[in-house]
Amino acid sequence: MNAPIIDPLQGDFPEMIEEYLEHGIMKCIAFNRRGTLLAAGCADGTCIIWDFETRGIAKELRDKNCNAAITSVCWSKYGHRVLVSTSDKSLMIWDVLSGEKVAHTTVGPTVLQARLHPGSTTPSLCLACPFSSAPMVIDVVEGTTKILPVLVSELNNGVALNSRSKIPEGSTTYSLSTACFNKFGDLVYTGNSKGEILIIDHRKVQVQAVVSVSPGPIIRNIVFSRDGQYLLTNTSDRMLRIYENLLPMKDAHKVLDELHRTIDEQDEVEKLKTAGTKCLSLVHEFQDSINRIQWKAPCFSGDGEWIISGSASRGEHKIYIWDRAGHLVKILEGPKEALIDLAWHPVHPLIVSVSVTGLVYIWAKDYTENLSAFAPDFKELEENEEYVEREDEFDLMPETEKVKESDVNEDDPIDILRVEDDSAFSDSDMSQDELCFLPAVPCPEAPEQQEKCVGSCSKVPDSNQSESPLSVEAGQNGHAANNASSPPEAMVNSTAGETEGTRLKRKRKPSEKGLELQAEKTKKPSIPTKPSGRLSRSRKYAADPESSNGVNGDYASDD
Amino acid sequence: MANSSAASQPTHPEYEPYRLSKTLTGHSRAVSCVKFSNDGTLLASASLDKSLIIWSSASLSLLHRLIGHSEGINDLAWSESHYICSASDDYTLRIWSARPPFDCLKTLKGHTDVVFCVNFNPQSNLIVSGSFDETIRIWEVKTGRCLNVIRAHSMPVTSVHFNRDGSLIVSGSHDGSCKIWETKNGALLKTLIDDKMPAVSFAKFSPNGKFILVATLNNTLKLWNYSTGKFLKIYTGHQNTTYCIMATFSVTNGKYIVSGSEDHSVCIWDLQGKNMIQKLEGHKDTVVSVTCHPNENKIASAGLDNDRTVRVWVQEG
Repeated sequence: MNAPIIDPLQGDFPEMIEEYLEHGIMKCIAFNRRGTLLAAGCADGTCIIWDFETRGIAKELRDKNCNAAITSVCWSKYGHRVLVSTSDKSLMIWDVLSGEKVAHTTVGPTVLQARLHPGSTTPSLCLACPFSSAPMVIDVVEGTTKILPVLVSELNNGVALNSRSKIPEGSTTYSLSTACFNKFGDLVYTGNSKGEILIIDHRKVQVQAVVSVSPGPIIRNIVFSRDGQYLLTNTSDRMLRIYENLLPMKDAHKVLDELHRTIDEQDEVEKLKTAGTKCLSLVHEFQDSINRIQWKAPCFSGDGEWIISGSASRGEHKIYIWDRAGHLVKILEGPKEALIDLAWHPVHPLIVSVSVTGLVYIWAKDYTENLSAFAPDFKELEENEEYVEREDEFDLMPETEKVKESDVNEDDPIDILRVEDDSAFSDSDMSQDELCFLPAVPCPEAPEQQEKCVGSCSKVPDSNQSESPLSVEAGQNGHAANNASSPPEAMVNSTAGETEGTRLKRKRKPSEKGLELQAEKTKKPSIPTKPSGRLSRSRKYAADPESSNGVNGDYASDD
Repeated sequence: MANSSAASQPTHPEYEPYRLSKTLTGHSRAVSCVKFSNDGTLLASASLDKSLIIWSSASLSLLHRLIGHSEGINDLAWSESHYICSASDDYTLRIWSARPPFDCLKTLKGHTDVVFCVNFNPQSNLIVSGSFDETIRIWEVKTGRCLNVIRAHSMPVTSVHFNRDGSLIVSGSHDGSCKIWETKNGALLKTLIDDKMPAVSFAKFSPNGKFILVATLNNTLKLWNYSTGKFLKIYTGHQNTTYCIMATFSVTNGKYIVSGSEDHSVCIWDLQGKNMIQKLEGHKDTVVSVTCHPNENKIASAGLDNDRTVRVWVQEG
């Protein structure tokens, strides 16, 4: 597609904040498989689906009866369903296209992280990692729960686990244990507080292998890369470790079964450890040895080449980027708000981070002009080349120009229809119908409601204020305005010429946005249709036109 | 198609000539654009008489007339489902529903001069428009918001088109250049042609997005491979020095290039062999727009002021 003309020499990771999304207070995000839609769970229980291309809201999934904050969102493999876990112990599965809730179940403890089974189009199995309790595999439709073993020592005790038990007697309490599916969902990899990664066949609820992380720290996060080749763990000893997955992608559980039969060990635990050495091998471990930062929300890039993680220190929004060999390549620094979630776009070099204020920042590569794009025969050179004139260069009628046009073999057949497969999605089974886009329905316009919010947009951004207090306030206001009949800027009602100067280029930083807002102040009418979720100044004005609450939109950090 | 790539044959042995099936009257002024919907069930035509007409593809009967623009319409585009966007001399674009009650859903304002060309992206959540104000604008369908303004050219923009996945836009202009832009940030990725003369009157991606068909006002159509920046085929024999005549690919029964012409005919060339295979006569003025049905072997064409008709051509049998 556009691959041939995009410069491959540029580094493949983002460098700066391109823009941000705002709508209520968002807590957690997830991209769909192709990165065309971004699901964001909010503090008020709404799950928003953003159309990532237009950076506008495509759908809002909301259950009026559930107002508890969402703790995690997860897409089904082909993008038809979204699983949402909330702080009031519910798990809900929504159908994205229709916006209807498909399943709803309540679990015992509050679930902090829930993942849908990656194997099927309409999965009902999900993996839930509750707070201070063992991970569970739950069938949301049937309502059945299987608690997964967390400690290897349990197996020797022969502890019976049933669906209602909280903490089996005799074993120590475990805090956050975390888990993830492997690529095709036949195995679950869990990390516990003793530094052990357990590989569990969730159908049989049986631990098949164990990998120990010395010296036994609490494992906080465990994540697979998109292609399932690499596993990343984040542990309480402030290290990130990368393991290579030695098992095959498909039917890994069968390979493990084989291993069990062939390993000749009496002790159960030893057997599991031997099996573990055949499943994962440590490739690299790294840390920030200077600041000894605790990490938060680590993940891989879409192609598995880069690893990113946020710093868990409060008051800073830092994202560290390493290559897979463990070399730190970049530290991205955002506004002074703690980072709570992070995701790398599956295809493009874009990072999306959620800050504690509820804003979602989009990081992208800095746009550098490619001068060779400006003329057809410009070519970029790596280094200076001596120009050697042609023999007839200065002739009045150079020979070569006359034959310039036909230097291409004109008889080659041209194929205008065939499309190459997209190599980034090697396992895309084309028989499956993937939901990539939600149909964009133009919101019908109300009869012109002119110039209602004009005056209030113009409050001068107070550049002395730091960002955080503004943002927090804005978040709350946004939240409130959301429930009222909030108008978006549905239409650009510009006078001639004004738009050219101000909206010339896509907003690159919040500070530019602040300047733009000032310039655009006479433009926006307020029209009562669905909220667009875009920068919120006009929304707020409808809810509270007198309040002149100009602080929200103007995050002009003068830099 | 292995057999059609033998380039030396002047005419295809299997080629079925097109013949006139029906002439549709309904516009009181020149018809500027005609397009089949993506599923082929509807045909829309736009005219300088400020209206759009929606026809049924099958029965070719008039279904509805969309009124609302205050000046003539230059171009129209179909979305993936059933929305039409029209570009008008009244400096605005309008989004209409092609199903009852045929409302005008949105008016997109922002251009400062005549809007000349428009297209949806394949996902149909974005609209790109080109105008005499020398800019290209990208609009969000859902809210009607203008997402980006690209100062694209130094003369009126005559044509804009998205590629297959919506990541690129090709634009042509009277300033003689044909440029490729990245949708996401409006960055210029490539300049395909940059001669001052002749003006580029039309540019369009091939169905697989690898080639660009470019028409220039020197009676020439060229098929470019845009990643190498070289053109591979030239099609001549028609007349095109004044109007921005639309051309298209016909792929339902062999690969052809179809274009209108100022000599009042519709010209069909064999894509590989570059020879003109058929000339459809009948219009009484310049044929300014042609469209091919997505599934059937049907072509519709539109004529300017002395003609004012839409003609539908089908293959024999």
